[in-house]
Amino acid sequence: MFFHMVLERNMQLHPRHFGRDLRDKLVAKLMKDVEGTCSGHHGFIVAITGIESVGKGRIRDGTGFVVFPVKYQCVVFRPFKGEILEAVVTMVNKMGFFAEAGPVQIFVSNHLIPDDMEFQPGDIPNYTTSDGSVKIQKESEVRLKIIGTRVDATEIFCIGTIKDDFLGVISDPGANS
Amino acid sequence: MSAEEEENAAELKIPDEFLKAKCLMNCEVSLILEHKYEQLQQMADDPMNQMSQVFEKSLQYVKRFSRYKNPDAVRQVREILSRYQLAEFELCVLGNLCPETVEEAIAMVPSIKTRGRAHDDEAIEKMLNDLSLIKKFE
Repeated sequence: MFFHMVLERNMQLHPRHFGRDLRDKLVAKLMKDVEGTCSGHHGFIVAITGIESVGKGRIRDGTGFVVFPVKYQCVVFRPFKGEILEAVVTMVNKMGFFAEAGPVQIFVSNHLIPDDMEFQPGDIPNYTTSDGSVKIQKESEVRLKIIGTRVDATEIFCIGTIKDDFLGVISDPGANS
Repeated sequence: MSAEEEENAAELKIPDEFLKAKCLMNCEVSLILEHKYEQLQQMADDPMNQMSQVFEKSLQYVKRFSRYKNPDAVRQVREILSRYQLAEFELCVLGNLCPETVEEAIAMVPSIKTRGRAHDDEAIEKMLNDLSLIKKFE
């Protein structure tokens, strides 16, 4: 799920940037430093949307660098266990399939794909029901439920399932062609 | 909430700061990111270079999965859903997935039934009807 929240960060600024456009420099550096990063706790920081406040700077002993506490508003993406969301299938193999929901990767193991869907190897590997009516292949859109997340310092990885009511394929790229 | 293991969005057990933060539906994120993308385009010749991969992927994702495109419709969806005493998180799941039946809505957001609020099937049905009306007249 996407959230809009206020986060805080201590920004170090080199003295050569002190001047009229100190604030602009600070904001530009903040964007460069945090946009696109991921922390296990807050999730992926997608975009900064505004600056809430810039606190008083403090000179660091011995270096001349100044540290400013900056509060900023941003859009973050954080997946949760138990959350249901839509995702795009990126890779299918006999172990299961990978899907992407925004910046996050989700793996759905073949144990968590309904039992009536069989893996079909070939040019376009896919999972298909015995009557051929439902097919999961690359670029399919699926609705899945996150059942586990692995969070480390710079990445979030999820395990999902489509073996539940109202989960599974929502659109099939092969259907229109 | 202390332990990571207890997290369960189906029961609305998510860390406090997320529960209090403003939740965004995909269509709202799409409006925000498109706006930001336009700003970047004006500042730099090559906006693709300026964007992080996370930004790019998120933008593609929300564009693909936005149920409502028009900003007025997006505003209406939030307004209508907010009449039903939903938590922010529940509101956004409903807005993102647009369930069509009451059973589907409860399967998507089990917490609307469990927290002992005045959500009988009729109220949920009315809410889903209101949502599908916006979609129809968009």
